[in-house]
Amino acid sequence: MTAKRLENGGHIDRSKALQFTWDGRALSGYQGDSLASALLANNQSIIARSFKYHRPRGIMSSGVEESGALVTIGTGAYRDPNVRATTQSLYDGLVATGQNAWPSVRHDFAAINNVFGRFLAAGFYYKTFMGLPPFELGKGTGIWMQYEKIIRKSAGMGRVERKADPDSYEHAHSFCDLLIVGAGPAGLSAAIAAGELGLDVMLVEQDELLGGDLLGQPNSDTLRNELIAQIESNENIRIMLRTTAFGLYDYGTAGLVERVTDHVLTPEPHLPRQRFWTVRAKQTILATGALERHIAFDNNDRPGIMTATAGRNYLNRYGILAGQEIAIATNNDSAYATAADLSKAGANVTIVDARREVANSLQEIASAQGIEIRYKSAPFSAIGRGHIKALELAQGSHGHWQASGSLSCDLLLVSAGWSPVVNLISHRGVRPSWNQENACFVANQDFLGIQTVGSASGLWQTNDCQESASIAVEQAAKAIGHTPNKNNTSTVLQPGGWESPIEPLYEVKIATKKSKSFVDFQHDVTSEDVRLAHREGYQSVEHLKRYTTLGMANDGGKMGNIIGLALMSEALGKDIPAVGTTVFRPPYTPVAIGALTGRSVDEHFRPLRRTPMHDWNLAHGATMTMAGLWHRPWYFARDDETISEAYVREADTTRKSVGLCDVTSLGKIAVQGPDATELLNRIYTNPFAKLPIGKARYGIMLRDDGVVMDDGTTWRLSETEYFMTTTTVHAAKVLAFMEELLHTRWSDLRVHVTSVSEQWAGCAVAGPKSRDVLRACVQNPAMMSNEAFPFMGVREGLLKGNIPCRIARISFSGEMAYEVYVASDYAPAMMDLLHDQAISFDGCLYGLEALGTLRIEKGHVTGAELDGRVTIDDAGLGKMASPKKSFIGSALRQRPELMRTDRPQLVGFFPVNKNEIFNSGSVICDRNQISGMGEGWISSVTHSPELGHWIGLGFISGGLEAWQGKTAVAADPVRNKQIEVEIVSPHMIDPSGERMHG
Amino acid sequence: MADRISALDGHITKGRFGRASADQENAGVTISLVADLKLHQIAAWPDNIKQVGDLVSSSLKLNDLIKPCSSIGSADMGALRIEPLKWWIVGADAPEIDAEIGANLDLSHSRTRLRIAGPEATTLLNRLLPLDLREASFKNGAVASSAIHHVGITLWRNEAGYDIFVPRGFALSIWELIYESSLQFGVEVV
Repeated sequence: MTAKRLENGGHIDRSKALQFTWDGRALSGYQGDSLASALLANNQSIIARSFKYHRPRGIMSSGVEESGALVTIGTGAYRDPNVRATTQSLYDGLVATGQNAWPSVRHDFAAINNVFGRFLAAGFYYKTFMGLPPFELGKGTGIWMQYEKIIRKSAGMGRVERKADPDSYEHAHSFCDLLIVGAGPAGLSAAIAAGELGLDVMLVEQDELLGGDLLGQPNSDTLRNELIAQIESNENIRIMLRTTAFGLYDYGTAGLVERVTDHVLTPEPHLPRQRFWTVRAKQTILATGALERHIAFDNNDRPGIMTATAGRNYLNRYGILAGQEIAIATNNDSAYATAADLSKAGANVTIVDARREVANSLQEIASAQGIEIRYKSAPFSAIGRGHIKALELAQGSHGHWQASGSLSCDLLLVSAGWSPVVNLISHRGVRPSWNQENACFVANQDFLGIQTVGSASGLWQTNDCQESASIAVEQAAKAIGHTPNKNNTSTVLQPGGWESPIEPLYEVKIATKKSKSFVDFQHDVTSEDVRLAHREGYQSVEHLKRYTTLGMANDGGKMGNIIGLALMSEALGKDIPAVGTTVFRPPYTPVAIGALTGRSVDEHFRPLRRTPMHDWNLAHGATMTMAGLWHRPWYFARDDETISEAYVREADTTRKSVGLCDVTSLGKIAVQGPDATELLNRIYTNPFAKLPIGKARYGIMLRDDGVVMDDGTTWRLSETEYFMTTTTVHAAKVLAFMEELLHTRWSDLRVHVTSVSEQWAGCAVAGPKSRDVLRACVQNPAMMSNEAFPFMGVREGLLKGNIPCRIARISFSGEMAYEVYVASDYAPAMMDLLHDQAISFDGCLYGLEALGTLRIEKGHVTGAELDGRVTIDDAGLGKMASPKKSFIGSALRQRPELMRTDRPQLVGFFPVNKNEIFNSGSVICDRNQISGMGEGWISSVTHSPELGHWIGLGFISGGLEAWQGKTAVAADPVRNKQIEVEIVSPHMIDPSGERMHG
Repeated sequence: MADRISALDGHITKGRFGRASADQENAGVTISLVADLKLHQIAAWPDNIKQVGDLVSSSLKLNDLIKPCSSIGSADMGALRIEPLKWWIVGADAPEIDAEIGANLDLSHSRTRLRIAGPEATTLLNRLLPLDLREASFKNGAVASSAIHHVGITLWRNEAGYDIFVPRGFALSIWELIYESSLQFGVEVV
């Protein structure tokens, strides 16, 4: 290969040399280079190895459509595979390596696959199910199981780094009047026009420079600089470089990814690597340009073959003449300017044009430079192994080609027409339509505030592109409500702009000669694969795509889709529009998962909720556990205690003396208003109409469908105010349900419900000494006497230090117990007070594990039992469903299915052999039939210090009545364990409740 | 009476952090905890909006009507209309509200009040929440409900900057995210 860097020209800074490493070799480039241009300038030809056949691949383009030069950037945990060298900015110290090859991309042993190509055709993976011919040996999964391992191993391109991503990412939001995607001539013109109208404009460009196609045009600096100056001087225009609009969504929402530091070796600290933007725009203009198409011909994937635009960009943008003997294969006008530029730069250029003739002006361009034009010609086969050396040509037209000699060359540029980038508008469900005259898909130019302009709308001349942009801005401004400057509304420009019409050209093949012509370079899909798929019965383009994997690589079909479609339409004998196109989906170019995740990683994977005693608990030895989003104390181990030793001790101490537990996470709702009582009476199953002030009541709520939603105690504070508690898990759901009821069904009730979960910190004080502890902590000890403060009483008072508090005498543990609440900022002060006193009674702190033990022993249900399948009767609380009033769920709970007496009902479980334990989640089976869903399940388990053995709560068909005195088997099929269990009352200790009333 | 211990107590280090360069002496943003929040929610019944609204305004010795999503008063003493039927009185004593016209609820400990100010305050906030904070859309005095990292928050723009009312239990988690995001602008924790 004979690429060379020119002395001057291009948008690179030759005074700033950059050192980088390619596959272990030290090379240099210039500021402004892409990795691809720097590799090209260093005459690196083979940059990658192909997916299946490990064929050598070089640089095929100069942009996002690149399907050849995929490399791995960075090292260690920063390694990033499958990066397009064409869009990677070069920086000092960049380390790039080849991938999918061993030992290197230049010498890859797996290239042997190329020889066995016929076994790796479309669908070969599925065909492994068919077994080995001729007797289909191993048909089905037999032999496939073996193949799969090998195939999986060799599948994929770059290897992903398995270490955690050390980079940070973030999300961002923005709003604008007009979002312009693409900063080529059309996008720049749109931005200027909109900025002048005073619209708030966001101009988004995936490249690091503004200009788009202007960057590849010679002598365009004046125009480009002028446009940029106008944009930069207008403060209404926000420019976002290195930012890709990867998806369009409803109501003007666009997803962008900004590559903040991918172009520098050592980023400024604190900057995220990438930023994921959600932009909400009133109007959107897509000036996304067009991508040049390839042609399918034999060995069309050889290094040294690239798009004509790429040849032009490397010349005019990067100052690199990519070859000396250059052939340009084309079927349209656009390649002629490229030919002239390259010729002027000193190359010997030959144009191979599929058309019969071209306009005089084009002929003049060629003759002025001494460029030979071969008409009715096209490349049939590329010669050369590691790099193209010559081209076998074919002559003919309309699919009938004959060999017509060869042409020696060291660079082949291909321009087989242009595909407007209609990806983004496709995301909105718009099907682009086929434009026969220009042989391309174009999208509706205006769709719900999204307009497509420039070459993205099929306009091929720069001035047309700019004009279309101005027209679109006028439309957009009008839609936003800006009065137009001019009254004459210009008509939308029609696609086109060439002097000589394009001659559609997708594949060149000669019937008598074998060829390997690639359609999708990245996935090694050949034109023969497409025909094979058709022969095997695939008719729909969507099926074709999935069977051959055409267009499913990370270029999303940018290079191959149209050719594949054309070949399919030919095979089917239909026109391209009749075959249809596959739907483009986001993202336009790959987006790092890290960018989507943003800062929601590690401890911020989800929001963390701490109680006001969080630090206090930690300081007192808590080991925390997650309860929903809450962090709650799990247990407070002393010395070398294990969790089991700790929770058993905590539960035991609580039953014998006193225990303190942070119960702040319970949901708390202020219910206020003259109709508060009425509301509560309608949503709880049990009567609330006559709850006296200063009393609490346990209540159960059902869903509309009659299944239990939640339970908790509600305290009456005054005539019109209640303090409701809910379970930790259902706090938000209960509040939302009450709001819904008040806003939709019962808007006549004068009630406000407000979450006060965060306002109040709560501590349970449980155990025979709980009253003594509290008596020592309140300002007025007299308030704590049994008479002054009976069971289920509610009192407001002061803790020592004048801390206002609310206390209710309620018990979840079955012991005499209180819940004490103070305003959250006083929580540590409350805990200090209570803890000092508890210690003096040999009490302790207890966590969620011991809390579980205490309530399981008592048969109190929680979320583990009330799992959304359980009725109030199933939970053994049927007596709490008042027959005298209607309440939410009162009608539907009486459906026959929910009233069946053989439904699984709450019971307790003991192991028959008291030394054995069983797991929560075990299936309860009749001992004679241990299979399937069994007779019930175990929902909670614990060791009971009081009973001295393992116990469980759960459900069994027919409940205690049907099973009393019988045993069953707790089957744990996952752990292959079967334990014989005895069915007992769920109230395993103190069933009469004497302790809590004492 | 015991001291109030905020959700961020022991977790904030004051000072200048993050991006720092010679030409940028001032931090892009300042973030702070506004301690000892005094916050009351006043709610009205649909038929008593005017009556209750007047009581709210007069508690600040003002007589402006507060439209939804807006506020009166100042950062020190303000009243925010957070819902059509609900106001928040911040920093001032709340009026007595008869149950026949509405309800009064002390929420002083339920929220942690964070303040973000400085030239990059808006940019920082838009790294965290999806509200249109452009001057024309979110003027001084504007109030909105939004979310940061799935946590519902109330945002109030006043003369001191942006005040964010974060549910207390989430406050440290959200503070950490704000702080982490602010480092790129250079941040002064005050």
